Amino acid sequence: MMKKFGEVILLLLLLLLFFVPHAEGTRYSLPGKPALTRCRSPEKETFTCWWEPGSDGGLPTTYALYYRKENSEMVYECPDYHTAGKNSCFFNKNDTSIWVNYNITVVASNALGSTFSDPVDIDVVYIVKPNPPEKVAVTVMEDKGWPFLRVSWEPPHKADTRSGWITLIYELRVKLDGENEWEMHLAGQQKMFNIFSLRSGGRYLVQVRCKPDHGFWSEWSSASHIKVPDYFHRERSVWILITVFFAFIFLIVSWCIHINSHSLKHCILPPVPGPKIRGFDKQLLKNGKSEDIFSALVVSDFPPTSSSNYEDLLVEYLEVYIPEEQELILEESKDLHDGCLKPKGSTFDSDSGRGSCDSHTLLMDKCGEAKDDEQQTDRDGSQTGSEAQRQQAAWEQEALTYAHEDMISPDMSSGRVKTWPSVFSPLPQYSLSPLSQPSSLETAKQHCLSDSLFPPASLSSYLTQPGQSTKEALRSSYSDFCSSNKQPHLLHPQPDARHHLQAHSDVNISSIGHKEAPAGLQLPTVQSTEYVEVHTVNEDDMVLLHPVPSGHSHGKGCLQMHQGEDYSKVNGVDKNNVLLLQRDVIEEQVDMCPCENQDMNGATESCCTSAQKSIPCIHTTLPVQEEKAVNGYVDTATMFPLPIH
Amino acid sequence: MRQSARLQTILDLTAVDAAPLCTNAQAGCHVLSLANLFDRVIQHSARMHGISNDLHSEFELYFLPSKNQIGRVSRNCHTSSILTPNGKENAQRMAREELTEVILKLLVAWRDPLWHFHQSMAHHHDFNNFSSNKSLEMSDMVHELRKGVQKVVEKMQMLGIISNSVSNLASPEALLASDSAEWRLMKDYDLLYCFRRDSNKVQNYLKILKCRIVPEHGC
Repeated sequence: MMKKFGEVILLLLLLLLFFVPHAEGTRYSLPGKPALTRCRSPEKETFTCWWEPGSDGGLPTTYALYYRKENSEMVYECPDYHTAGKNSCFFNKNDTSIWVNYNITVVASNALGSTFSDPVDIDVVYIVKPNPPEKVAVTVMEDKGWPFLRVSWEPPHKADTRSGWITLIYELRVKLDGENEWEMHLAGQQKMFNIFSLRSGGRYLVQVRCKPDHGFWSEWSSASHIKVPDYFHRERSVWILITVFFAFIFLIVSWCIHINSHSLKHCILPPVPGPKIRGFDKQLLKNGKSEDIFSALVVSDFPPTSSSNYEDLLVEYLEVYIPEEQELILEESKDLHDGCLKPKGSTFDSDSGRGSCDSHTLLMDKCGEAKDDEQQTDRDGSQTGSEAQRQQAAWEQEALTYAHEDMISPDMSSGRVKTWPSVFSPLPQYSLSPLSQPSSLETAKQHCLSDSLFPPASLSSYLTQPGQSTKEALRSSYSDFCSSNKQPHLLHPQPDARHHLQAHSDVNISSIGHKEAPAGLQLPTVQSTEYVEVHTVNEDDMVLLHPVPSGHSHGKGCLQMHQGEDYSKVNGVDKNNVLLLQRDVIEEQVDMCPCENQDMNGATESCCTSAQKSIPCIHTTLPVQEEKAVNGYVDTATMFPLPIH
Repeated sequence: MRQSARLQTILDLTAVDAAPLCTNAQAGCHVLSLANLFDRVIQHSARMHGISNDLHSEFELYFLPSKNQIGRVSRNCHTSSILTPNGKENAQRMAREELTEVILKLLVAWRDPLWHFHQSMAHHHDFNNFSSNKSLEMSDMVHELRKGVQKVVEKMQMLGIISNSVSNLASPEALLASDSAEWRLMKDYDLLYCFRRDSNKVQNYLKILKCRIVPEHGC
């Protein structure tokens, strides 16, 4: 047991002895295996090999390099360990053989032993790495004003290129100071190189390196700095040229604008139309005399009192006065220009006092409200039994007639009011061809358009509703019809108009007492209506008409107005305030204006305008064809079957 | 191919030169300067060396994966009998004629081995077509380069630069004198290795000659 104990202790001691040195970290061993890292020859005449030592094994280690040449078993040791530094071996010229294979081995030795490295075969020809080129010179040169860099260098002094022993090719790189990108250039075997496309005022770095035919690239030479001068003078001339050019352009543009300043101003800033006051004199205003200014502002002819400029527009009304005054002033009224809203009455003043037949004022008012009233009364359909209303309505009708006629009928001479005959002109057609309904309607439409008032509807309504209401109805229907003429589709809803037309044609004048009823009148279009001036009314209640001298513009189509003493004699007035006229000769159409018999002051006034003076008064044969002019209008057309022109 | 075109060019040049020798610029006579001739043959030799280098690298890559450096120098190249300068001083110390002869000897020595090498490459099918074409081209180039160098020598002799002691190595006797048996024992890889070195020698010697004889052009 003691023995065993002793053995155990001995074992422990041995172990301790073994581990103690290990614990202290000093363990000796063979040196580590070195390794040849590289061998280089700078000029293909000498070469150097470097190795990397391995672990030294804790003991001082020495390294030795041994080499063997090709086809020889002689082992030589490195001749020079120091020239090339630590862990290197330098072979000088005498020891270097080109095109000979070297087998080199490095041995690391220490007290414990040696370690051999792996052998390396080298041929000097293939391990040439020359030194960097020397004497790199960079200069700035000019080529027609543009600078470029000329880089020149020399081969490394050790490399013998002159004898052709080594052939080197060169490469250089350029970059701007501060940038990271290099610009590479391969220069071949030449020792000079030009670099173009430089930046003005730039600072460049240039480096060169070389390589033998089969070998390694040398290191880059040290950077050469060069600063390119500013060739601003060249650029300045360009800027001057550009400036001059743009100045020239600017001058031209401004001149063009100046030339066209006026039109440009109109284009960009259109003038705001300002009120122009006639007679306004700026100078007077500047002078400061208010009296002069305002007096200048007063237009002499405003409000228009003279009919010099407005004769065309004047509405002259036919005034027929009842016996007590024994005077009839029949004035031809000219057509209202526009719905007789304008009281361009030249006869205003002359009519003073004759209020009832103050045609112009009446017309003015009536026309103004004619349309409205027409609408209202028509729509209402209410009957106004008062004569005044009828007369008013008649006036409205007349006004409307005038308006429409004036507006629509091209045949009418300007300034002439169409009277019934014109309105009734289309009617004969119907009498002729009562069944030509569509054509009649069309013609009716035409006539309505031409004559403004087309009474067939009124006729129908008249027929259907004889009496007071008929007037309104007629009016309404008339207006409707006329309006409907403008809207053809409305024609259809009035089929009975045709029948009424027929009926009316048959009825002829008898049923026509209205102004609208003049559908029975077979007067042709009012091409020419002569103006008749009612001269006097004799004791027999005959209206003596005088032809008005053709001072008025009769317009086209105006039939020759004979200055004969043709007139229509008023035969009498019947109980219905119908003016019965005498007809002597019927030559041409007689346009009898619807005269409104006004029962004012118990006097019946009828205003007539006869288109043709040549046509004498209507005969009393009329009674057969008495027309009941409810509103006082005499429908001569119906009374006298006048030829249609 | 481009290389064969260059070969043809050299042949044309040499053929033209073989015509009436023109010392002066006579009418209808195409005079080539010696420097140009040297440049052409140097370019040719550089091209040849490049091809041999490529072939050798390919061989090393595919057929010797384990870089057994020791086995490389197991045998001598068959041209080791030709004394060639192994250093710059030795080469510069050598006379022009000797140097020229060395070049010619080397070129002559490699004509048959390369031809056979090409034949073996074509039969092996291990090489790709590219390598096979290279071996053929290499073989042709050796042949053409020798002709070109001979033209240069003749020109030099004509110019009196070198003496006429340079023998005509194109004669069949010179060809037979070469050791034709040694190279047959060599393996293909060794052949390539040796030829790579020898082509480098030829290129270098030609450069030395040129810079010694006509130094004003690129030396």
